[in-house]
Amino acid sequence: MAKMKIKAKEKNGVVKVKAMFRSLMADKEEAEKKKIKAEYITHILGKANGKVVFEATTSGFMSENPLIKFSFTGAKKGDELEFVLTDNHGKTKTGKKKIK
Amino acid sequence: MERRKFLNLGLVAAAAVLAPMTNLNAVNFRETKPKAWEIEKSADAIKEMFGAGELKTTDKIKFTAPKLAENGGSIPISLSTDLDIETIALFQDANPRAATVVFSVPEGQKVDYSFRIKMRQTAVVTIVAKAKDGTLYTLAKEIDVSIGGCGG
Repeated sequence: MAKMKIKAKEKNGVVKVKAMFRSLMADKEEAEKKKIKAEYITHILGKANGKVVFEATTSGFMSENPLIKFSFTGAKKGDELEFVLTDNHGKTKTGKKKIK
Repeated sequence: MERRKFLNLGLVAAAAVLAPMTNLNAVNFRETKPKAWEIEKSADAIKEMFGAGELKTTDKIKFTAPKLAENGGSIPISLSTDLDIETIALFQDANPRAATVVFSVPEGQKVDYSFRIKMRQTAVVTIVAKAKDGTLYTLAKEIDVSIGGCGG
């Protein structure tokens, strides 16, 4: 399933994150029309230093290849940011990136 | 053989211990509120997700969205606020199911999210935010969609 691209930058204690997850985000109706299997991300969890810093439960009505921007505090340069994705089939995928 | 079996047992035990750990202080709203994701009308979905509490209209949440979206397949939305929010969710009336995204804001973090959604037709988008003290804030905007997304 989904691949992901993550960019994270720290400035004055605030980490700005841009993350793109590759997914069709096709809900039931859309999948029927395109004659493909329904496939979308249902849950995104972002962690840094063992703490949850981002969490979203999503539906198929997010855009294709969802791009999410957010910022958080509590991490510094060199720390690792980890994302765990869950899709509608229950599959999970993990991606890591060092904060710049 | 004996040793291999023993090692395997250890792995299984480690996996069993680790599995619940990953879900620590995380709320998957699909599991806790499965019904809310199947409802077509925003108002009913909000009731299912947040209970029948009173919704307060607020201007303290910054909700940016285009008035006219040329491409319904990708409508940029951004949300930010200084209020102490626990959960913030987006609902719309354009698609077969209203609930689009629910963010659970982790302890000590501020709401500052940008993302994109799909809409089939012109409709009202409603934001509902639950503050730490239980107050429900709401905010709505109509977005004009000229070409529907969602394969519609």
